[in-house]
Amino acid sequence: MLSNEPITPSQLSLKDLPWLIYWDKEKCQLCGRCVAACPVRAIELGTFRQRIVETPINNKEAHTNLYKIYYGIKQKTDPGHACIGCGLCSKVCPNQAIIPFHNEEPDKLKFHINLGGQPRRRGGRRNVPHTILDRIKFIRISMLTDPALDAGRHEFELRTLLGRVLPPEENLKCYKENGWVPPVREIYPLIIGGMSFGALSPNMWEGLVMGVAYLNEELGMPVRMSTGEGGCPPRLLRSRFLKYIILQIASGYFGWDEIIHAIPEMKEDPCAIEIKYGQGAKPGDGGLLMWYKVNKLIAAIRGVPPGVSLPSPPTHQTKYSIEEAVAKMIQSMYMAWGFRVPVYPKISGTSTALAVLNNLTRNPYAAALAIDGEDGGTGAAYNVSMDHMGHPIASNVRDCYLNLVKLGKQNEIPIIGAGGIGKRGNLAANAAALYMLGASAVQVGKYIMQAAAGCVGSETDRCNICNIGLCPKGITSQDPRIYRRLDPEKVAERVVDVFLTFDTELKKIVAPLGRSTSLPIGMSDALGIDDYHAAERLKIKYVV
Amino acid sequence: MGQKIRDAYFIPGRENGKRVDSRILEERIQRAVEQGFRKIEVEACGQHGIGGRLWKAGDEEVVVYVSGPPGQRVGSMGFPNTRIEVLGNSSDDVGWLNAGAEIVVHGHAANGVANGMAQGKIYIAGNIGARGMTMTKFNPRFTPPELWVLGSVGDYFAEFMAGGIAVICGYNPQNPDNVLGYRPCVGMVGGKIFVRGKYLGFSEKDAKRVQISEEEWAWLCENLKTFLKKIDKEHLYEELSKYEDWDLIVARSPQEKRSSSLRPISDFNKNVWCKELGQGGLIGDLVDYDRSPIPVITTGELRRFKPVWENKKYAAPCEFACPTGIPVQERWALVREGRFEEAADMALFYTPFPTTVCGFLCPNLCMQNCTKQKYNMTPVDVTLLGKASENAKLPELPPITEKKVAIIGGGPGGISCAWQLRLKGYDVTVFDRHKELGGKISEYIPKTRIPQDILKKDIERIKKVLPHVQLEENIGKEKFKELLSEYDFVVIATGAQRPRILPVEGKERLVSALEFLGKSKKDEIDPGERVVVIGAGNVGCDVATEAHRLGARDITLIDIQEPASFGKERKEAEKAGAKFKWPVFTKKIIDKGVITDSGELIPADTVVISIGDVPELDFLTEDIETDRGFIKVNEYYQTSNPKVFAIGDVVKLGLITDAIGSGRIAAQAIDSLLKGETPQLKKRPEIDKQRMNPAFFDPRIASYKDVKECANECMSCGRCRDCGICITLCPQGAISRLALDNGDFELVVDDDRCIGCGFCADVCPCGIWNLIPNEPMF
Repeated sequence: MLSNEPITPSQLSLKDLPWLIYWDKEKCQLCGRCVAACPVRAIELGTFRQRIVETPINNKEAHTNLYKIYYGIKQKTDPGHACIGCGLCSKVCPNQAIIPFHNEEPDKLKFHINLGGQPRRRGGRRNVPHTILDRIKFIRISMLTDPALDAGRHEFELRTLLGRVLPPEENLKCYKENGWVPPVREIYPLIIGGMSFGALSPNMWEGLVMGVAYLNEELGMPVRMSTGEGGCPPRLLRSRFLKYIILQIASGYFGWDEIIHAIPEMKEDPCAIEIKYGQGAKPGDGGLLMWYKVNKLIAAIRGVPPGVSLPSPPTHQTKYSIEEAVAKMIQSMYMAWGFRVPVYPKISGTSTALAVLNNLTRNPYAAALAIDGEDGGTGAAYNVSMDHMGHPIASNVRDCYLNLVKLGKQNEIPIIGAGGIGKRGNLAANAAALYMLGASAVQVGKYIMQAAAGCVGSETDRCNICNIGLCPKGITSQDPRIYRRLDPEKVAERVVDVFLTFDTELKKIVAPLGRSTSLPIGMSDALGIDDYHAAERLKIKYVV
Repeated sequence: MGQKIRDAYFIPGRENGKRVDSRILEERIQRAVEQGFRKIEVEACGQHGIGGRLWKAGDEEVVVYVSGPPGQRVGSMGFPNTRIEVLGNSSDDVGWLNAGAEIVVHGHAANGVANGMAQGKIYIAGNIGARGMTMTKFNPRFTPPELWVLGSVGDYFAEFMAGGIAVICGYNPQNPDNVLGYRPCVGMVGGKIFVRGKYLGFSEKDAKRVQISEEEWAWLCENLKTFLKKIDKEHLYEELSKYEDWDLIVARSPQEKRSSSLRPISDFNKNVWCKELGQGGLIGDLVDYDRSPIPVITTGELRRFKPVWENKKYAAPCEFACPTGIPVQERWALVREGRFEEAADMALFYTPFPTTVCGFLCPNLCMQNCTKQKYNMTPVDVTLLGKASENAKLPELPPITEKKVAIIGGGPGGISCAWQLRLKGYDVTVFDRHKELGGKISEYIPKTRIPQDILKKDIERIKKVLPHVQLEENIGKEKFKELLSEYDFVVIATGAQRPRILPVEGKERLVSALEFLGKSKKDEIDPGERVVVIGAGNVGCDVATEAHRLGARDITLIDIQEPASFGKERKEAEKAGAKFKWPVFTKKIIDKGVITDSGELIPADTVVISIGDVPELDFLTEDIETDRGFIKVNEYYQTSNPKVFAIGDVVKLGLITDAIGSGRIAAQAIDSLLKGETPQLKKRPEIDKQRMNPAFFDPRIASYKDVKECANECMSCGRCRDCGICITLCPQGAISRLALDNGDFELVVDDDRCIGCGFCADVCPCGIWNLIPNEPMF
């Protein structure tokens, strides 16, 4: 700020910013790397004038003023250059002379991040660090009552079914009458949730799919990944790897012409079709790929002009009732692959999920219901949607499952839970808790970004700039100068690590429960929580 | 029931038709040993743990024959002194936690054989069940344990095996296709397994097949003989001792386990991924550019930002603010370089009044806009430079061409326009109705504000430049028309000469400010003791100052609003004791003074009206449009008659520097038109004041000693000072100074070294370097 100017309401001082840069003059070698690396140019070289007043004590000599200059790193305070706390400066600093830290003072930037009347938009996650899933414990340990299994040496079949599982007699009847039974896939119960090609960088996306292919082909783990709403690279559509892919169709229908054109040339059917009606991070709001990220490549894959923002409508435009929405979309998507590919809707967590579920139970084509809870992540959304909209996943899944139990259909229509699973790093425990609450599978996005690509985002509003294409790790950027920081092979390697680790940890949880041949879906007698009301609500044991 | 062994102490497992309890049987066996029996036959009936723990015999060998069906854990916790022979089949866990006993089972054994065994030997003449040789140990104090099986083993064999030797002979196995059972060797960390016959693999993660060494083969052959002898099958030796039939499985070392046997991802990428998708992987068909990994810190075209040296791209704030357009920063640069005279002379390219105006009369908009003002620092004092330009030398004038321009009005605007045109070689004629050139400067501005010798020097210089000056020439309509036909262009610079008068009673008593100042300058007016000036602008202030000089002692300036006066004029008036009153509305003027709206009388001997002047435009032809008394012009001061330009107060009331500036712009436009070009405004955009770095300048200077100090403290906004700090500070050493042939220089960046940190832009005192986003790649 210039010293001689009037202050304006949105001029902030360091004290007001959420992230402060600590810089050590002694350690700094002024190499310029931190400043060059900072995604938002929150720091610059400071020229600091120092004044030394020399006052001789003998009172005979004159007092003198001496000015000196020293150089260092200075943090900018204008809202447009506020530090995001990503820590890339620390990462590139050869001397560990710089690091951002969270200001203890309540964030004042929040009040000014709407200049021009544009509410804050960002990527990332809900800025709430806790999840009830972390508080759920697995309390039913098979001690002498039944043989506990050894997670290390016992052979486990931790698989789940994606597709409509009709009771045998109905299945038979269906086949007799229609010559058709609903397709069902046996897949791994941890799915990489929909993150679009476009939201993610090409290198990130390639790394993910490569890792998934590796898990399938080298390790025999039937891991699946949803494309998210952004189409699918033409080569992948025409490869055998397509069977590991769940193609997502959402209200923007981006990239679907390419998918349709590829159908005659497909070597394999995709694993499933996911119809996205909603997303946990921004319920009731459509996808939003901001113009920064729509370059020629993304435009080509999505079938749009480059350099424009791509908002998807909040709803599919030609559906006017739940019956129509579900029946019409499911029917259309089934037809595309000759009724061989399971089709299921994905909704954001909502108190109305039961209505959707009840509708699906009456539709023999509905292959599953995916619910994305409030802790789901996104590449771009309004902050208000992210922080304040949506339904927690645990009770949503639980209600749906118990409703299926009431209908006697709990083994027939899988519920896929998503949103904040592993948000504090406890992926297997959170997933296991959700299985036991009634989910047949879980989807994860943010965890994969963090574990497989080093995403630095956190619930303390760190980084969260996925929407503007400046991702410090190159995960959500479309600029080759940034996304080439990410090596697809390394991402693939980490995806494999994540799944192998998850697999072992999941076994460590389910083996002591005595389960090995099937996922303990709905095995809620194994669950306890130290919160009475939560226990009552989830119908699990209250333990203290 | 079983046969009795000769010489053996017989312990029956049944009594009176009832099975003896395991506890009782154990007590009896222990007692027998205690009593000195060393050969015991137990006719078992499912009792637990027969033959173990016989330590009471000390080093003496105890042999236990088990006839009848034993229970589980025969020989459990067996001691090295013990030899057990089970004559038939055996139940589970034979040799459980065996610590040295030799156990021979002449039939088959069920699950868990040798579980936890650490020493001793177990010989099985048949097959065994699941989980044999599991959790076995090796204690270096003892020889390793051995398990010999003639037939095959069941599932999960050697799970967590940590030591010992197992030998599976595969003779007459339960399942000829797999003598090792399902999933053997899981978690195996030590020991060896010799196996003969077919098997369906083992945990490759934990164990590996190795070649049987000579030494090992010799051991196997020798001990095979012993085994066969123990089970009375010596005739099989030949059949079983074929080297090629045997495999040896050993545990992997921890180091071997860690090195994953998984295919490396890079190999998968190359040989599976790209093979299926094609060259370039996932989007190899859509893009042809390199997507290989790069570091965060990059150079060249991979930098996100790059610096550009924008020397002289923008106008310094002083130059930008100066209506005359003098690049003040350039003049200071010349002073810094010691080219003081050139700095003085340079002004003449922009203004004919370098001293009069810049040094004295101008409110110095340049200084008001000086970047240093932003930092509470004293702006560089341009009046010092103005005053020092007193003797500025004229450049050599070009010969006069035949293109003729008439300038009507010899005030600052007219002179400026004529001056510029003459410098370009045009034949200009200036017409003025006064006796002297200079317009308001000569006629009305009080001598106190401009030393007359200074003004004279500027005027003399002007006269030298301008070849044709026709003074005391009043231009009427006819003459104007004449000029239009005789000259290529006519420039109207007649100023605003007609005073605005208030339409109030007694207005005839008013003296106009211009009249007052014109007369006061020649000391031809006596204002009396009390003076009221209506209109408290800067001209009003001049009137007040002059009135004071001429003896007035009670001077009041009234205005209908807060007075607009400022600067030197205001200060001088205040010094003269002038009072400012507002809002005051004049009702009428009487001989005693001014009656205001509220009926108050402000006494005055002289009442001066100073509410501005308007042009006199009677001579204009009708094709020249006017607007509310002023001539309408475009941005180049061209009127609706393309041959006629109008500048200065006749267009819009303003400062002297505004008039000079408009004269210069009009001259440039006329020059362009005469050359057949389209006129262009040559004004550069102003540099963003945030770009300069004030840290290098002394913040405590309150006033400048001399031009040299000014030059040193000038931030040289937008004009490189050539200080070299960027070259020194660049962490990559990427900036170098390139001397040009014309004596100038430029700073260049080595793109292959630069990382785009922007230190150069951040540090530059003059705001020359700019860090801009690199061109988008794709």
